Amino acid sequence: MHDRIGFSIGSAFAAVIPLACGIVGALISNMPISIFGGNLQPPLLALMPVYFWCLIRPDLMPPWVALALGILEDMLSGGSPGVWTAAFVASYALVDRQRESFAGLAGFGAIIGFAAAMFAASATAYLVEVFLAWRFLPISALIVQFAVTIVFYIPGAALLNLIHRRLVGPLRSDF
Amino acid sequence: MANGTWKIARGKGSAQLPLAIVAILALGLVLAGKAQSSLFDHARAYFSDWTSPLLETVRIPVKAVSNWTGGIGNYFDVYQENLRLKEDNARLRQWQNAALVLEQRVKRYQLLLNAVPDPSFGAVTAHVIGRANRPFLNTMILDAGKAQGVKPGEAVVDARGMIGRVFLAGDHTSWVILLTDLNSRIPVAIEPGNIQAIMSGDNTSAPALETLGQGVQLKEGDQIVTSGDGGLLPSGLQIGTVGADGFIFRAILLSDAGTSDDVRILNLKSPPEQPPAPSPNDLPVSAAGLAPLAPPVAALPAATVATAAQTPPPVKLLHPLTQAPPQATAPVDPDDR
Repeated sequence: MHDRIGFSIGSAFAAVIPLACGIVGALISNMPISIFGGNLQPPLLALMPVYFWCLIRPDLMPPWVALALGILEDMLSGGSPGVWTAAFVASYALVDRQRESFAGLAGFGAIIGFAAAMFAASATAYLVEVFLAWRFLPISALIVQFAVTIVFYIPGAALLNLIHRRLVGPLRSDF
Repeated sequence: MANGTWKIARGKGSAQLPLAIVAILALGLVLAGKAQSSLFDHARAYFSDWTSPLLETVRIPVKAVSNWTGGIGNYFDVYQENLRLKEDNARLRQWQNAALVLEQRVKRYQLLLNAVPDPSFGAVTAHVIGRANRPFLNTMILDAGKAQGVKPGEAVVDARGMIGRVFLAGDHTSWVILLTDLNSRIPVAIEPGNIQAIMSGDNTSAPALETLGQGVQLKEGDQIVTSGDGGLLPSGLQIGTVGADGFIFRAILLSDAGTSDDVRILNLKSPPEQPPAPSPNDLPVSAAGLAPLAPPVAALPAATVATAAQTPPPVKLLHPLTQAPPQATAPVDPDDR
Protein backbone atom coordinates (compact mmCIF):
# COMPACT_ATOMS: atom_id res chain seq x y z
CA MET A 1 0.00 0.00 0.00
CA HIS A 2 2.74 2.36 1.03
CA ASP A 3 4.68 1.38 -2.03
CA ARG A 4 1.73 2.15 -4.26
CA ILE A 5 1.18 5.54 -2.66
CA GLY A 6 4.87 6.33 -2.83
CA PHE A 7 4.96 5.23 -6.42
CA SER A 8 1.96 7.43 -7.32
CA ILE A 9 3.45 10.47 -5.65
CA GLY A 10 6.75 9.83 -7.33
CA SER A 11 5.12 9.46 -10.72
CA ALA A 12 3.11 12.61 -10.25
CA PHE A 13 6.21 14.49 -9.18
CA ALA A 14 8.10 13.21 -12.19
CA ALA A 15 5.26 14.26 -14.47
CA VAL A 16 5.40 17.79 -13.09
CA ILE A 17 9.15 18.19 -13.54
CA PRO A 18 9.08 19.09 -17.27
CA LEU A 19 6.39 21.69 -16.65
CA ALA A 20 8.34 23.01 -13.67
CA CYS A 21 11.50 23.27 -15.76
CA GLY A 22 9.58 25.24 -18.38
CA ILE A 23 8.16 27.58 -15.74
CA VAL A 24 11.60 28.17 -14.24
CA GLY A 25 13.00 28.81 -17.72
CA ALA A 26 10.26 31.32 -18.50
CA LEU A 27 10.82 33.10 -15.18
CA ILE A 28 14.57 33.31 -15.66
CA SER A 29 14.55 34.46 -19.26
CA ASN A 30 11.88 37.06 -18.54
CA MET A 31 13.54 38.61 -15.54
CA PRO A 32 13.80 42.27 -16.58
CA ILE A 33 17.55 42.36 -16.12
CA SER A 34 19.84 43.46 -18.91
CA ILE A 35 23.46 42.49 -18.33
CA PHE A 36 24.78 43.30 -21.78
CA GLY A 37 23.24 46.75 -22.04
CA GLY A 38 20.32 45.51 -24.10
CA ASN A 39 22.54 44.39 -26.95
CA LEU A 40 21.75 40.71 -26.51
CA GLN A 41 18.28 39.24 -26.43
CA PRO A 42 17.60 36.76 -23.62
CA PRO A 43 17.39 33.09 -24.64
CA LEU A 44 14.03 31.39 -24.95
CA LEU A 45 14.72 28.99 -22.11
CA ALA A 46 11.14 27.76 -21.78
CA LEU A 47 11.31 26.19 -25.24
CA MET A 48 14.14 23.86 -24.25
CA PRO A 49 12.09 21.58 -21.97
CA VAL A 50 9.32 21.55 -24.55
CA TYR A 51 11.71 20.28 -27.22
CA PHE A 52 13.62 17.96 -24.91
CA TRP A 53 10.72 16.08 -23.37
CA CYS A 54 8.52 16.23 -26.43
CA LEU A 55 11.29 14.29 -28.13
CA ILE A 56 12.25 11.71 -25.55
CA ARG A 57 9.19 11.43 -23.29
CA PRO A 58 6.13 12.92 -24.97
CA ASP A 59 3.96 11.45 -22.26
CA LEU A 60 5.58 13.97 -19.91
CA MET A 61 5.18 16.84 -22.36
CA PRO A 62 1.63 16.78 -23.70
CA PRO A 63 0.46 19.60 -26.00
CA TRP A 64 -1.35 21.43 -23.25
CA VAL A 65 1.92 21.86 -21.34
CA ALA A 66 3.45 23.55 -24.39
CA LEU A 67 0.34 25.72 -24.59
CA ALA A 68 0.58 26.62 -20.90
CA LEU A 69 4.28 27.47 -21.15
CA GLY A 70 3.59 29.64 -24.21
CA ILE A 71 0.87 31.51 -22.32
CA LEU A 72 3.26 32.01 -19.41
CA GLU A 73 5.95 33.29 -21.76
CA ASP A 74 3.43 35.73 -23.26
CA MET A 75 2.32 36.86 -19.84
CA LEU A 76 5.80 37.50 -18.52
CA SER A 77 7.42 38.92 -21.62
CA GLY A 78 5.04 41.86 -21.87
CA GLY A 79 4.41 41.49 -25.58
CA SER A 80 1.25 40.94 -27.54
CA PRO A 81 -0.87 38.10 -26.13
CA GLY A 82 -0.70 34.85 -28.04
CA VAL A 83 2.55 35.40 -29.93
CA TRP A 84 4.71 32.95 -28.01
CA THR A 85 1.77 30.66 -27.34
CA ALA A 86 1.35 30.12 -31.05
CA ALA A 87 5.12 29.85 -31.45
CA PHE A 88 5.45 27.14 -28.80
CA VAL A 89 2.55 25.15 -30.20
CA ALA A 90 3.96 25.39 -33.74
CA SER A 91 7.35 24.24 -32.54
CA TYR A 92 5.74 21.40 -30.59
CA ALA A 93 3.76 20.36 -33.65
CA LEU A 94 6.92 20.22 -35.75
CA VAL A 95 8.77 18.07 -33.24
CA ASP A 96 5.73 15.89 -32.67
CA ARG A 97 5.31 15.24 -36.40
CA GLN A 98 9.00 14.67 -37.08
CA ARG A 99 9.88 12.89 -33.87
CA GLU A 100 11.46 9.91 -35.60
CA SER A 101 13.78 12.20 -37.56
CA PHE A 102 14.72 14.35 -34.57
CA ALA A 103 15.23 11.41 -32.24
CA GLY A 104 17.88 9.97 -34.50
CA LEU A 105 20.05 13.03 -34.10
CA ALA A 106 22.88 13.04 -31.63
CA GLY A 107 25.75 15.34 -30.76
CA PHE A 108 25.94 18.29 -33.13
CA GLY A 109 22.90 16.97 -34.96
CA ALA A 110 20.83 17.35 -31.82
CA ILE A 111 21.68 21.04 -31.77
CA ILE A 112 20.60 21.29 -35.39
CA GLY A 113 17.36 19.62 -34.39
CA PHE A 114 16.74 22.15 -31.67
CA ALA A 115 17.66 24.92 -34.12
CA ALA A 116 14.90 23.66 -36.41
CA ALA A 117 12.41 23.75 -33.56
CA MET A 118 13.60 27.22 -32.56
CA PHE A 119 13.31 28.35 -36.17
CA ALA A 120 9.70 27.17 -36.25
CA ALA A 121 8.99 29.10 -33.05
CA SER A 122 10.74 32.27 -34.24
CA ALA A 123 9.11 32.19 -37.67
CA THR A 124 5.68 31.72 -36.12
CA ALA A 125 6.25 34.54 -33.65
CA TYR A 126 7.39 36.83 -36.46
CA LEU A 127 4.40 36.03 -38.65
CA VAL A 128 1.97 36.57 -35.78
CA GLU A 129 3.61 39.91 -34.93
CA VAL A 130 3.45 40.97 -38.58
CA PHE A 131 -0.22 40.02 -38.61
CA LEU A 132 -0.87 42.01 -35.45
CA ALA A 133 1.15 45.06 -36.52
CA TRP A 134 0.10 44.73 -40.18
CA ARG A 135 3.53 45.77 -41.44
CA PHE A 136 6.89 44.14 -41.97
CA LEU A 137 9.04 44.26 -38.88
CA PRO A 138 12.81 44.26 -38.44
CA ILE A 139 14.13 40.79 -37.94
CA SER A 140 17.60 41.42 -36.54
CA ALA A 141 16.58 41.15 -32.86
CA LEU A 142 14.83 37.86 -33.57
CA ILE A 143 17.96 36.49 -35.24
CA VAL A 144 20.02 37.48 -32.21
CA GLN A 145 17.59 35.71 -29.91
CA PHE A 146 17.66 32.67 -32.19
CA ALA A 147 21.45 32.50 -31.99
CA VAL A 148 21.61 33.12 -28.23
CA THR A 149 19.01 30.45 -27.53
CA ILE A 150 20.87 27.84 -29.57
CA VAL A 151 24.12 28.65 -27.79
CA PHE A 152 22.35 28.31 -24.44
CA TYR A 153 20.84 25.00 -25.50
CA ILE A 154 24.23 23.30 -25.30
CA PRO A 155 24.53 23.59 -21.51
CA GLY A 156 20.73 23.60 -21.20
CA ALA A 157 20.39 20.18 -22.80
CA ALA A 158 23.10 18.79 -20.54
CA LEU A 159 21.21 20.11 -17.52
CA LEU A 160 17.90 18.72 -18.74
CA ASN A 161 19.58 15.42 -19.41
CA LEU A 162 20.89 15.36 -15.87
CA ILE A 163 17.48 16.20 -14.45
CA HIS A 164 15.91 13.48 -16.52
CA ARG A 165 18.40 10.84 -15.45
CA ARG A 166 18.46 11.76 -11.77
CA LEU A 167 14.86 12.76 -11.12
CA VAL A 168 12.46 11.75 -13.83
CA GLY A 169 13.95 8.34 -14.61
CA PRO A 170 14.01 6.88 -11.05
CA LEU A 171 10.59 8.28 -10.24
CA ARG A 172 9.02 6.92 -13.40
CA SER A 173 10.03 3.31 -13.09
CA ASP A 174 7.12 2.27 -15.27
CA PHE A 175 9.22 3.22 -18.28
CA MET B 1 23.07 15.53 -26.88
CA ALA B 2 20.91 12.99 -25.24
CA ASN B 3 18.44 12.57 -28.03
CA GLY B 4 19.85 9.34 -29.22
CA THR B 5 20.18 7.82 -25.82
CA TRP B 6 16.54 7.77 -24.79
CA LYS B 7 13.75 5.61 -26.05
CA ILE B 8 10.80 7.35 -27.55
CA ALA B 9 7.55 6.71 -25.80
CA ARG B 10 3.98 7.81 -26.13
CA GLY B 11 1.66 8.12 -23.20
CA LYS B 12 -0.51 5.09 -22.74
CA GLY B 13 -4.10 5.87 -22.13
CA SER B 14 -3.41 9.39 -20.95
CA ALA B 15 -6.10 11.87 -21.82
CA GLN B 16 -4.01 14.26 -23.88
CA LEU B 17 -5.60 17.28 -25.36
CA PRO B 18 -5.23 16.80 -29.10
CA LEU B 19 -2.71 19.00 -30.78
CA ALA B 20 -5.33 20.41 -33.13
CA ILE B 21 -7.42 21.69 -30.25
CA VAL B 22 -4.35 23.23 -28.64
CA ALA B 23 -3.49 24.94 -31.93
CA ILE B 24 -7.02 26.33 -32.17
CA LEU B 25 -6.75 27.62 -28.61
CA ALA B 26 -3.44 29.31 -29.45
CA LEU B 27 -4.95 31.01 -32.51
CA GLY B 28 -7.93 32.04 -30.43
CA LEU B 29 -5.59 33.64 -27.94
CA VAL B 30 -3.87 35.57 -30.74
CA LEU B 31 -7.23 36.90 -31.95
CA ALA B 32 -8.36 37.68 -28.41
CA GLY B 33 -5.09 39.53 -27.85
CA LYS B 34 -5.66 41.48 -31.06
CA ALA B 35 -9.11 42.50 -29.84
CA GLN B 36 -7.95 43.29 -26.32
CA SER B 37 -4.23 43.88 -26.00
CA SER B 38 -4.52 44.41 -22.25
CA LEU B 39 -5.46 40.78 -21.72
CA PHE B 40 -2.50 39.99 -19.46
CA ASP B 41 -1.97 43.44 -18.00
CA HIS B 42 -3.20 42.61 -14.52
CA ALA B 43 -1.00 39.53 -14.36
CA ARG B 44 2.03 41.48 -15.56
CA ALA B 45 1.45 44.27 -13.07
CA TYR B 46 1.03 41.75 -10.28
CA PHE B 47 4.19 39.93 -11.34
CA SER B 48 6.28 43.10 -11.45
CA ASP B 49 4.88 44.22 -8.08
CA TRP B 50 5.69 40.80 -6.66
CA THR B 51 9.24 40.72 -7.99
CA SER B 52 10.07 44.37 -7.37
CA PRO B 53 11.90 43.69 -4.04
CA LEU B 54 14.10 41.16 -5.82
CA LEU B 55 14.72 43.54 -8.69
CA GLU B 56 15.60 46.32 -6.24
CA THR B 57 18.07 43.99 -4.56
CA VAL B 58 19.82 42.86 -7.71
CA ARG B 59 19.73 46.28 -9.37
CA ILE B 60 23.08 47.47 -8.01
CA PRO B 61 25.17 44.35 -8.76
CA VAL B 62 23.56 43.95 -12.16
CA LYS B 63 24.31 47.57 -12.93
CA ALA B 64 27.92 47.04 -11.93
CA VAL B 65 28.24 43.98 -14.16
CA SER B 66 26.51 45.77 -17.02
CA ASN B 67 28.83 48.76 -16.68
CA TRP B 68 31.83 46.48 -16.61
CA THR B 69 30.82 44.48 -19.66
CA GLY B 70 29.70 47.55 -21.54
CA GLY B 71 32.79 49.51 -20.62
CA ILE B 72 35.41 47.07 -21.83
CA GLY B 73 35.49 48.62 -25.26
CA ASN B 74 35.86 52.10 -23.80
CA TYR B 75 39.32 51.37 -22.41
CA PHE B 76 40.76 51.38 -25.89
CA ASP B 77 39.63 54.86 -26.88
CA VAL B 78 39.52 56.65 -23.55
CA TYR B 79 42.06 59.27 -24.64
CA GLN B 80 40.18 60.24 -27.80
CA GLU B 81 36.94 60.18 -25.85
CA ASN B 82 38.39 62.54 -23.26
CA LEU B 83 39.46 65.04 -25.90
CA ARG B 84 36.06 64.90 -27.54
CA LEU B 85 34.28 65.42 -24.24
CA LYS B 86 36.40 68.45 -23.40
CA GLU B 87 35.57 69.98 -26.74
CA ASP B 88 31.87 69.21 -26.25
CA ASN B 89 31.98 70.69 -22.76
CA ALA B 90 33.45 73.97 -23.96
CA ARG B 91 30.87 74.22 -26.73
CA LEU B 92 28.00 73.40 -24.37
CA ARG B 93 29.09 76.11 -21.95
CA GLN B 94 28.72 78.64 -24.72
CA TRP B 95 25.26 77.30 -25.49
CA GLN B 96 24.37 77.40 -21.81
CA ASN B 97 25.16 81.09 -21.64
CA ALA B 98 23.13 81.75 -24.76
CA ALA B 99 20.21 79.72 -23.37
CA LEU B 100 20.22 81.63 -20.08
CA VAL B 101 20.14 84.98 -21.89
CA LEU B 102 17.31 83.82 -24.15
CA GLU B 103 15.38 82.39 -21.22
CA GLN B 104 15.45 85.73 -19.46
CA ARG B 105 14.40 87.51 -22.62
CA VAL B 106 11.46 85.14 -23.17
CA LYS B 107 10.35 85.62 -19.58
CA ARG B 108 10.40 89.37 -20.05
CA TYR B 109 8.38 89.16 -23.26
CA GLN B 110 5.84 86.87 -21.65
CA LEU B 111 5.49 89.31 -18.82
CA LEU B 112 4.98 92.26 -21.16
CA LEU B 113 2.47 90.37 -23.31
CA ASN B 114 0.66 88.87 -20.37
CA ALA B 115 1.10 85.59 -22.19
CA VAL B 116 -0.49 82.33 -21.17
CA PRO B 117 2.27 80.46 -19.36
CA ASP B 118 3.37 76.98 -20.26
CA PRO B 119 1.62 74.31 -18.24
CA SER B 120 3.59 72.81 -15.43
CA PHE B 121 3.77 69.11 -14.68
CA GLY B 122 3.52 67.15 -11.54
CA ALA B 123 6.41 64.73 -11.56
CA VAL B 124 7.37 61.54 -9.79
CA THR B 125 11.01 60.54 -9.69
CA ALA B 126 11.56 56.80 -9.98
CA HIS B 127 14.38 54.28 -10.23
CA VAL B 128 14.71 51.96 -13.18
CA ILE B 129 14.60 48.49 -11.62
CA GLY B 130 14.34 46.44 -14.76
CA ARG B 131 14.83 46.47 -18.49
CA ALA B 132 13.25 44.05 -20.91
CA ASN B 133 14.76 43.88 -24.35
CA ARG B 134 12.81 41.38 -26.41
CA PRO B 135 12.63 40.89 -30.18
CA PHE B 136 9.29 42.67 -30.32
CA LEU B 137 9.36 44.71 -27.15
CA ASN B 138 11.55 47.37 -25.54
CA THR B 139 10.42 48.27 -22.06
CA MET B 140 11.72 49.29 -18.69
CA ILE B 141 10.20 48.82 -15.25
CA LEU B 142 10.12 51.62 -12.69
CA ASP B 143 9.66 51.41 -8.93
CA ALA B 144 6.71 53.79 -8.87
CA GLY B 145 3.12 52.85 -9.50
CA LYS B 146 -0.45 53.75 -8.67
CA ALA B 147 0.49 54.29 -5.04
CA GLN B 148 2.70 57.17 -6.18
CA GLY B 149 0.04 58.55 -8.51
CA VAL B 150 1.45 57.11 -11.73
CA LYS B 151 -1.09 56.49 -14.48
CA PRO B 152 -0.81 54.88 -17.94
CA GLY B 153 -0.02 57.32 -20.72
CA GLU B 154 2.26 59.60 -18.74
CA ALA B 155 5.55 60.68 -20.27
CA VAL B 156 8.85 59.45 -18.85
CA VAL B 157 11.96 61.59 -19.21
CA ASP B 158 15.52 61.46 -18.04
CA ALA B 159 17.94 64.35 -17.69
CA ARG B 160 18.47 64.51 -21.46
CA GLY B 161 15.04 64.02 -22.94
CA MET B 162 12.00 61.84 -23.32
CA ILE B 163 12.45 58.09 -22.97
CA GLY B 164 8.93 56.77 -23.41
CA ARG B 165 5.59 56.62 -21.73
CA VAL B 166 3.91 54.49 -19.10
CA PHE B 167 1.67 51.78 -20.56
CA LEU B 168 0.98 49.72 -17.48
CA ALA B 169 0.87 50.77 -13.85
CA GLY B 170 0.87 48.31 -10.98
CA ASP B 171 0.56 49.24 -7.34
CA HIS B 172 4.26 49.91 -6.84
CA THR B 173 5.76 49.41 -10.30
CA SER B 174 5.06 50.65 -13.78
CA TRP B 175 6.05 49.49 -17.24
CA VAL B 176 7.36 52.00 -19.75
CA ILE B 177 7.12 51.54 -23.48
CA LEU B 178 10.26 53.06 -24.95
CA LEU B 179 10.30 55.40 -27.92
CA THR B 180 12.21 52.75 -29.84
CA ASP B 181 9.55 50.08 -29.33
CA LEU B 182 7.55 48.75 -32.25
CA ASN B 183 4.30 49.87 -30.69
CA SER B 184 5.41 53.43 -29.96
CA ARG B 185 3.92 56.15 -32.16
CA ILE B 186 3.84 59.70 -30.88
CA PRO B 187 3.13 63.06 -32.52
CA VAL B 188 6.14 65.34 -32.67
CA ALA B 189 7.03 68.78 -33.95
CA ILE B 190 10.27 69.55 -35.74
CA GLU B 191 11.88 72.91 -35.18
CA PRO B 192 12.42 75.29 -36.82
CA GLY B 193 9.26 75.46 -38.83
CA ASN B 194 6.96 73.61 -36.43
CA ILE B 195 6.72 70.71 -38.88
CA GLN B 196 4.27 68.12 -37.62
CA ALA B 197 5.30 64.48 -37.82
CA ILE B 198 4.74 61.06 -36.33
CA MET B 199 7.67 59.29 -34.73
CA SER B 200 7.37 55.51 -34.96
CA GLY B 201 9.58 53.03 -33.15
CA ASP B 202 10.81 50.02 -35.09
CA ASN B 203 13.11 48.36 -32.55
CA THR B 204 16.12 50.23 -33.87
CA SER B 205 17.92 52.84 -31.81
CA ALA B 206 16.60 55.64 -34.05
CA PRO B 207 12.79 55.78 -34.55
CA ALA B 208 11.48 56.70 -38.00
CA LEU B 209 9.88 60.06 -38.77
CA GLU B 210 6.83 60.43 -41.00
CA THR B 211 5.94 64.01 -41.83
CA LEU B 212 2.27 64.82 -42.07
CA GLY B 213 2.51 67.63 -44.61
CA GLN B 214 3.27 67.15 -48.29
CA GLY B 215 6.45 68.57 -49.75
CA VAL B 216 7.95 69.14 -46.34
CA GLN B 217 11.73 69.17 -46.31
CA LEU B 218 13.52 68.04 -43.19
CA LYS B 219 17.14 68.83 -42.48
CA GLU B 220 19.60 66.88 -40.46
CA GLY B 221 20.16 68.43 -37.08
CA ASP B 222 16.69 69.93 -36.70
CA GLN B 223 15.27 69.66 -33.20
CA ILE B 224 12.48 67.21 -32.41
CA VAL B 225 10.08 67.90 -29.55
CA THR B 226 6.71 66.51 -28.59
CA SER B 227 3.87 68.38 -30.26
CA GLY B 228 1.30 67.70 -27.56
CA ASP B 229 -1.36 66.82 -30.14
CA GLY B 230 -4.06 64.64 -28.71
CA GLY B 231 -3.45 65.87 -25.20
CA LEU B 232 -1.73 62.67 -24.12
CA LEU B 233 1.75 64.11 -23.85
CA PRO B 234 2.91 67.58 -22.92
CA SER B 235 4.23 69.70 -25.75
CA GLY B 236 7.82 70.80 -26.00
CA LEU B 237 9.54 67.82 -24.42
CA GLN B 238 12.98 67.36 -25.93
CA ILE B 239 13.33 64.16 -27.92
CA GLY B 240 16.31 64.47 -30.23
CA THR B 241 17.51 65.64 -33.60
CA VAL B 242 16.73 64.69 -37.17
CA GLY B 243 19.11 62.30 -38.89
CA ALA B 244 18.99 60.93 -42.43
CA ASP B 245 19.07 57.22 -43.17
CA GLY B 246 18.94 56.78 -46.92
CA PHE B 247 15.61 58.11 -48.11
CA ILE B 248 13.96 58.22 -44.71
CA PHE B 249 14.53 60.46 -41.75
CA ARG B 250 15.05 59.18 -38.26
CA ALA B 251 15.16 60.64 -34.77
CA ILE B 252 18.54 60.58 -33.08
CA LEU B 253 17.38 60.36 -29.48
CA LEU B 254 18.94 62.50 -26.78
CA SER B 255 18.04 60.09 -24.01
CA ASP B 256 19.70 56.76 -23.47
CA ALA B 257 17.25 54.28 -22.07
CA GLY B 258 20.00 51.72 -21.65
CA THR B 259 21.93 53.74 -19.10
CA SER B 260 19.31 55.87 -17.36
CA ASP B 261 18.93 54.98 -13.70
CA ASP B 262 16.66 57.73 -12.44
CA VAL B 263 13.79 59.09 -14.48
CA ARG B 264 10.86 61.41 -13.98
CA ILE B 265 7.26 60.54 -14.76
CA LEU B 266 5.40 63.66 -15.83
CA ASN B 267 1.75 64.15 -15.02
CA LEU B 268 0.17 66.39 -17.62
CA LYS B 269 -3.14 66.42 -15.78
CA SER B 270 -1.77 68.85 -13.21
CA PRO B 271 -3.34 72.28 -13.41
CA PRO B 272 -1.47 74.78 -15.58
CA GLU B 273 1.06 76.92 -13.83
CA GLN B 274 -0.32 80.21 -12.70
CA PRO B 275 1.45 83.26 -14.08
CA PRO B 276 3.90 84.58 -11.55
CA ALA B 277 2.99 87.85 -9.94
CA PRO B 278 5.46 90.30 -11.43
CA SER B 279 7.56 92.23 -9.02
CA PRO B 280 8.47 95.84 -9.76
CA ASN B 281 12.02 94.72 -10.48
CA ASP B 282 10.82 92.51 -13.32
CA LEU B 283 9.56 95.43 -15.42
CA PRO B 284 11.92 97.14 -17.81
CA VAL B 285 10.78 100.53 -16.63
CA SER B 286 12.13 99.69 -13.19
CA ALA B 287 15.39 98.70 -14.71
CA ALA B 288 15.49 102.14 -16.25
CA GLY B 289 15.13 103.72 -12.83
CA LEU B 290 11.48 104.81 -13.21
CA ALA B 291 8.66 103.89 -10.87
CA PRO B 292 6.05 101.50 -12.35
CA LEU B 293 2.65 103.08 -13.03
CA ALA B 294 0.42 100.03 -12.59
CA PRO B 295 0.33 97.75 -9.58
CA PRO B 296 1.21 94.08 -10.12
CA VAL B 297 -1.63 92.10 -11.63
CA ALA B 298 -3.05 89.23 -9.63
CA ALA B 299 -2.81 85.81 -11.17
CA LEU B 300 -5.74 84.91 -13.37
CA PRO B 301 -7.59 81.67 -12.73
CA ALA B 302 -6.68 78.94 -15.17
CA ALA B 303 -10.13 78.90 -16.74
CA THR B 304 -10.02 82.60 -17.58
CA VAL B 305 -6.54 82.63 -19.02
CA ALA B 306 -7.61 81.38 -22.41
CA THR B 307 -10.46 83.92 -22.51
CA ALA B 308 -8.09 86.69 -21.62
CA ALA B 309 -5.81 85.70 -24.43
CA GLN B 310 -8.65 86.05 -26.97
CA THR B 311 -10.00 89.42 -25.81
CA PRO B 312 -8.03 92.63 -25.72
CA PRO B 313 -6.59 93.04 -22.28
CA PRO B 314 -7.54 96.07 -20.23
CA VAL B 315 -5.31 99.02 -20.70
CA LYS B 316 -4.28 99.05 -17.09
CA LEU B 317 -2.75 95.61 -17.48
CA LEU B 318 -0.29 96.84 -20.05
CA HIS B 319 2.84 98.59 -19.34
CA PRO B 320 2.99 102.18 -20.62
CA LEU B 321 5.94 101.29 -22.79
CA THR B 322 3.69 99.02 -24.87
CA GLN B 323 1.28 101.86 -25.62
CA ALA B 324 3.87 104.29 -26.72
CA PRO B 325 6.99 103.45 -28.65
CA PRO B 326 10.16 103.66 -26.67
CA GLN B 327 11.61 107.10 -26.64
CA ALA B 328 15.20 108.02 -26.76
CA THR B 329 15.28 107.94 -22.99
CA ALA B 330 14.21 104.31 -22.89
CA PRO B 331 17.05 101.88 -22.37
CA VAL B 332 18.10 99.83 -25.30
CA ASP B 333 18.39 96.16 -24.59
CA PRO B 334 21.61 95.00 -26.16
CA ASP B 335 20.05 91.59 -26.71
CA ASP B 336 17.35 93.09 -28.92
CA ARG B 337 19.66 94.52 -31.46
